[in-house]
Amino acid sequence: MSRTFNAFEMAQKQFDDVAEILNLDEATKDLLRNPIREYHFSIPVKMDDGTSKVFRGFRCQHNDARGPGKGGIRFHPQETIDTVRALSMWMTWKCAVVDIPLGGSKGGVICDPHNLSEREQEQICRGWVRKIARDVGPLQDVPAPDVMTSAQHMLWMLDEYEAIRGAKYPGMITGKPVGMGGSLGRTEATGYGVIFTVREALKEMNIKPADTTAAFQGFGNVAQYAIKLYNQLGGKVVCVSSWDQADNTSYTFAKADGIDVDALLSITDRFGGIDKEKAKALGYEVLSGDKWIEQEVDILIPAALENQITKDNVDKISSKVKIIAEGANGPTTPEADAVIKERGIHMIPDFLANAGGVTCSYFEQVQCNMNYYWEKDEVFGKLDVKMTSAYLDVSKLAKEKNLYMRDAAYVISINKVAQASRDRGWI
Amino acid sequence: MKKQSKNLELLIENLNERAKELNCLYNVEKILKNYNAELEDIFKKLIKVIPPGWQYSKICKVKINYKNLVFQSGGFKETDCFLSANIIVEKKIVGKIQVFYIDTTGLCKEDPFLPDEKKLLKTITERVGNYIYHKKLKQTVMELDTVKDVIESHKKKDWKIIIDLIKATDSSLFLRISRKMMNYLCLIGIDKARELLLSFEGEKNSKTTNSTFDLNIPSKKRDIESMTDLSDQVFIIASEYLSDEDILKNFQKWIQEDKLDFLILALESLASSLNDIQNAISRYRHLGLDKTELSLNTNININVLLIYRLFTEQLEFINIAKNYVNVKDFYYIMQHIIFPQNSHGKLGGKSAGIFLAYNILKNAKGDNDQDLNIKIPKTWCITSDTMQHFLHYNNLEEAFEQKYKSIEQIREEYGNIIQIFKNSHFPNDMINGLSLALDDFGENPIVVRSSSLLEDRVGAAFSGKYKSLFLANQGSKNERLNALMDAVAEIYASTFGPDPIEYRKERGLLDFHEEMALIIQEVVGTKVGDYFLPSYAGVAFSNNEFRWSPRIKREDGLVRMVPGLGTRSVDRLSDDYPILTAPGQPNLKVNITSDEILRYSPRQIDVINLKDNSFETIEITDLLKVSGNEYPVIEKIVSVYEENRFSSKPLFNLNFKEDDLIVTFNGLISGTPFLKKMKSVLDILQEKTNMPVDIEFASDGKDFYLLQCRAQCYSKDNIPSIIPRDIAEENIIFNAKKYVSNGKLKNISHIVYVDPDMYNSLETIEELRSIGRAVENINKVLPKKKFILMGPGRWGSRGDIKLGVNITYSGINNTAMLIEIAKKKGNYTPDLSFGTHFFQDLVESSIKYLPLYPDDKGIAFNEKFFTESENILRNLLPEFSSLEDVIKVIDIRKVTDGKILKILMNADSNEALAYLSFPTEEVQITEEIELLPSPQSENHWRWRSNMAEQIAGELDPGRFGVKGIYIFGSTKNAVAGPASDIDILIHFRGTEKQKKELLNWLEGWSLCLAEINYQKTGFKSDGLLDVHIITDDDIKKKTSYAIKIDAVTNAARPLKMKDIS
Repeated sequence: MSRTFNAFEMAQKQFDDVAEILNLDEATKDLLRNPIREYHFSIPVKMDDGTSKVFRGFRCQHNDARGPGKGGIRFHPQETIDTVRALSMWMTWKCAVVDIPLGGSKGGVICDPHNLSEREQEQICRGWVRKIARDVGPLQDVPAPDVMTSAQHMLWMLDEYEAIRGAKYPGMITGKPVGMGGSLGRTEATGYGVIFTVREALKEMNIKPADTTAAFQGFGNVAQYAIKLYNQLGGKVVCVSSWDQADNTSYTFAKADGIDVDALLSITDRFGGIDKEKAKALGYEVLSGDKWIEQEVDILIPAALENQITKDNVDKISSKVKIIAEGANGPTTPEADAVIKERGIHMIPDFLANAGGVTCSYFEQVQCNMNYYWEKDEVFGKLDVKMTSAYLDVSKLAKEKNLYMRDAAYVISINKVAQASRDRGWI
Repeated sequence: MKKQSKNLELLIENLNERAKELNCLYNVEKILKNYNAELEDIFKKLIKVIPPGWQYSKICKVKINYKNLVFQSGGFKETDCFLSANIIVEKKIVGKIQVFYIDTTGLCKEDPFLPDEKKLLKTITERVGNYIYHKKLKQTVMELDTVKDVIESHKKKDWKIIIDLIKATDSSLFLRISRKMMNYLCLIGIDKARELLLSFEGEKNSKTTNSTFDLNIPSKKRDIESMTDLSDQVFIIASEYLSDEDILKNFQKWIQEDKLDFLILALESLASSLNDIQNAISRYRHLGLDKTELSLNTNININVLLIYRLFTEQLEFINIAKNYVNVKDFYYIMQHIIFPQNSHGKLGGKSAGIFLAYNILKNAKGDNDQDLNIKIPKTWCITSDTMQHFLHYNNLEEAFEQKYKSIEQIREEYGNIIQIFKNSHFPNDMINGLSLALDDFGENPIVVRSSSLLEDRVGAAFSGKYKSLFLANQGSKNERLNALMDAVAEIYASTFGPDPIEYRKERGLLDFHEEMALIIQEVVGTKVGDYFLPSYAGVAFSNNEFRWSPRIKREDGLVRMVPGLGTRSVDRLSDDYPILTAPGQPNLKVNITSDEILRYSPRQIDVINLKDNSFETIEITDLLKVSGNEYPVIEKIVSVYEENRFSSKPLFNLNFKEDDLIVTFNGLISGTPFLKKMKSVLDILQEKTNMPVDIEFASDGKDFYLLQCRAQCYSKDNIPSIIPRDIAEENIIFNAKKYVSNGKLKNISHIVYVDPDMYNSLETIEELRSIGRAVENINKVLPKKKFILMGPGRWGSRGDIKLGVNITYSGINNTAMLIEIAKKKGNYTPDLSFGTHFFQDLVESSIKYLPLYPDDKGIAFNEKFFTESENILRNLLPEFSSLEDVIKVIDIRKVTDGKILKILMNADSNEALAYLSFPTEEVQITEEIELLPSPQSENHWRWRSNMAEQIAGELDPGRFGVKGIYIFGSTKNAVAGPASDIDILIHFRGTEKQKKELLNWLEGWSLCLAEINYQKTGFKSDGLLDVHIITDDDIKKKTSYAIKIDAVTNAARPLKMKDIS
């Protein structure tokens, strides 16, 4: 009990397991186990009441062999450098798996925005940029919104950066609003991305989407757009589960002949909560929240929270289920994952399935750099191409090397980063 | 036929006469309108216009005597045939008007004058009398003004001229002034004056002994002469000892005060009714006395008297109010009161509060010396005795006995009382008053609110106990009047409703004779579509008892505001939220992330529907889609949510049909001086009234209206507790001295303690997450609001789980208190969250929050108690037993031989104390200030428990296939409240059919019990029994509620069933 939970150590352990499979040499392991660069700095801020306060800021660039770093900036009261390190490493893998030419970074400031006024937050943002303006930018490292930072914070940072550089650099940061350098299609990107991978998986299995059924957990942004696209492909969603704010519990809304996503959306609040009574009136069967997993369907898409498929309910998954696509982050616990692997269900792991979001961020940066912005369908078209080829790469490797999809995804991304580092002659 | 036509003729004749009379009266009025004319001219004109009013106007002549003047019509001659009426001024006959018929031939011998003509003459003389009186008064005032002017201009000159002038024009004033001078001289210790006084008193006494009661006129005259003499002597003395300037200054003051005598007399006399006071004030106003400045004492005296008569006898209130009001401030109110004849009623606490606050703020300056420009809505008051008047008029006085009946009976009869009241008749003077008020309000919506005399009593906040009714006030005058009367009757009836009576009973105010005044207030707002509403409204408090950041100080205040009517900000709603801000720290927001902002922004709005004449709650988005453009300052209220960002946009850029509009008040908070003004208002009111205040406000988009102001009272769960000093050290579990709010938890039976060190040492994210799941389950099984949660750092942390237990609001919603422990790590103490992750949920559901800093100096933290007491987690939730090193669940009673935990919190001293004590052993001082005994004293559990036993006794186990029946939860634990259900556990072994029958049978019981509970408490429910069926299998597997049987803590209690037949 002397050791405490440490995100960075966990990330390193995960890396070590894959490095074993890839049989990486010591130098490569050394390089990839740790960030390439780390910046720690102090940001003095004049507070509203006239006093001064100094905030601690970080930027951690894990690896930029494949391109400029990419990763969020977190405002967190008990941020630690180890958390930032771990997250920057995960960013490297995430960019590599969808094969976008970016590296992995993460940054943050130790602060709690709940205790700060907007002006003070603006000062922190501008202070952060002043400290690291030389080492970030469209060609070096591209920050993005993260925990407790928003588009507003990004605009402050961009503005400060451009003031320092004396020119316009919209590609310095992503997560900006449309019209201020943001990209269209971001809302839909993650949900669509999930279905692009599902579509490819079905193609490999020689199953027509129109002949399939699916059950969704969650009815937020990701699930809503995923369902829309899946319906367009002809698939039938027999149930969705959603959280009921008033009852403090979740319910599953089922309809054997397929749910009508637009009808449901008209009775859904902005947090994805479906009105129980109105749903009943529309002919939906309202079941308890955990029923989604027991459905006799071909595809399960957990798109709500983490740790939803556990050792306790993994056995309830129907034998009919062929694909699980992780729309949410970490919806499957390791024990349950082992069971799924054992049963041979085709798993599309989270950092592949929901990579539509990071891909769209990359598109934002690309558009910014050329100062030319695409129409929505152009974004979706390019997204389709990226997601499809990323899926096929992972799937191909899984088949070739007889790997579980999740492991294959890790292998492929670490392999790409290692190869880029070697190509550059670093190791 | 003939008779009929004769009748007709007579009728026409009568009508003709009436027309003549009216015409005459009209002409008289026209003449008397001119107050500047000479009396002589007036009389000359009058003798011309009077005769045409008489039946035989051609032979009618008039003679007017006034003092020694005589006026008569041309061709006048005296005959025996005449009418006469005296002109009376100040109760003295000063003249007469006579009407003669100069040719009596052909006239009725007996009485040629019609009865109406006699009345007419009387009316005319009365009018003339009033006219003369008025002119005289005016002259007096002018003379006094002249004197004053003289005084002003002769400041340094001989005051004797003035004295002579006064002596000549107003001898009684002269006497009063000399008397005042005498007193003044005595006061400053002039011996000569004292001697003079003694001699004068001696003389007076000897004179009055003969005729104690009556001073007849001749002797009075003599008296005045001798007194005038005496007065001359006084002034001689004065000239010896005082400077000319002093004398003059005093003269000036005394002359002014003298003019107010009538007002003070009216106010002081217990006999004078509100009507008399109203008259005195209007006389004061019309005499123009308010243009002169009063001496401080006189002013205060009048203020005190007025406050006393109109508002309250409470000295605390009078003491403050007397300094901020002025007779002039009563003009408006006096003209907007509805009261019965001979009223001695008062206007109640609400009226008093707003009157005082308005007058304090009226002249106050805000930040940068800017005018605060506070308004109050048009208001009418109905005095407290109007209610008695209404009851008496309808013979309803027995309603007063209602309060001594049992609550069940009161509740049962209440519906009937409302109907009786609504069907009662209103006395005419009340109808007239209400009608007048309605004319004043026009078709503007109004609200009728109670203004109870009990309301201004400290510690008894009747907020919301009596009804407030909104009226759309649309339609014909008659419809509006009927609606208003209906509302008044309903509010009167609400005095006899079960809730206020129970509330009064609890506070020992039952015998206090409840007199309820009412106020009728114009609703602040504008028309938006078919609705009427203020742009925004809310409540504000001087003290912030819900701080969401350590940077917010208690005195930074708190505003809860909503768009539309403020009703939604006053009440705590479970499914909607007001916007919270601290006026002292406007930039520190409660909600930071977009998810928080969306979740906690108001979604509904209270409005008055002008079309349906009703009060409604509607969706804000629906309103804005249709009529967003008409909504004043909407651009300051909503932000556009797009791409995860909230932007304030100018009105021009708002698209009400398509934009995702979220109520944030960002524009108002950061783009206007609203909060600065609010802070000034709260600060000024607190400073002047010497206590923290609680105000209601509303704005129509242009102006800031104050709707109510009272001392910030503590709701049931945030009274400051007195922290006892005599608790033995071994009984103290912890204390706190930072960021403490008010409150008290008296009966905590369990502690859930997440050990900070152990939590910190967990290695995997899985383990960390399982802590959250365990707490979530513990939250479900422990008795509601009887346990506290203690844990490291930040509860509900969503980012780095290491910082605190990862949990959502639903996982902690049954706790009584959430405690965050900030243990030092190396040389720094981590920041706590202050519950920000679910802050507004904590506020709305009254869950207390307390941060603990165990390593601070002077802080006690009995860590041993947490770590070494028996941990019942394993028994409670066996599936989480692996976590028992980290989570400790302590059954306090069990480990302390029956003690429970009490937590007292006091924000004033910033202290909190948690200690062990026996439930019966009450600490003396803490109980003394217990203003509000909890409603649980009603023994809600006892009858529930009896009924459960009875049900078990009636249950035929053979028929229904029942093995056993148990009771658990609040009824078993004797903590049931009025809304608690009865938790029944049934061990079932029968068939499906039996199960169905059993459930049917129990359903019948459940409905009956719900009805009984409604009668007792007013809580409506669909059933009172919460039945849980368990099978042998459940018991074997210990699933669901089966764990309750033979559970280690809080086990279900078996009930005896009917003997098997």
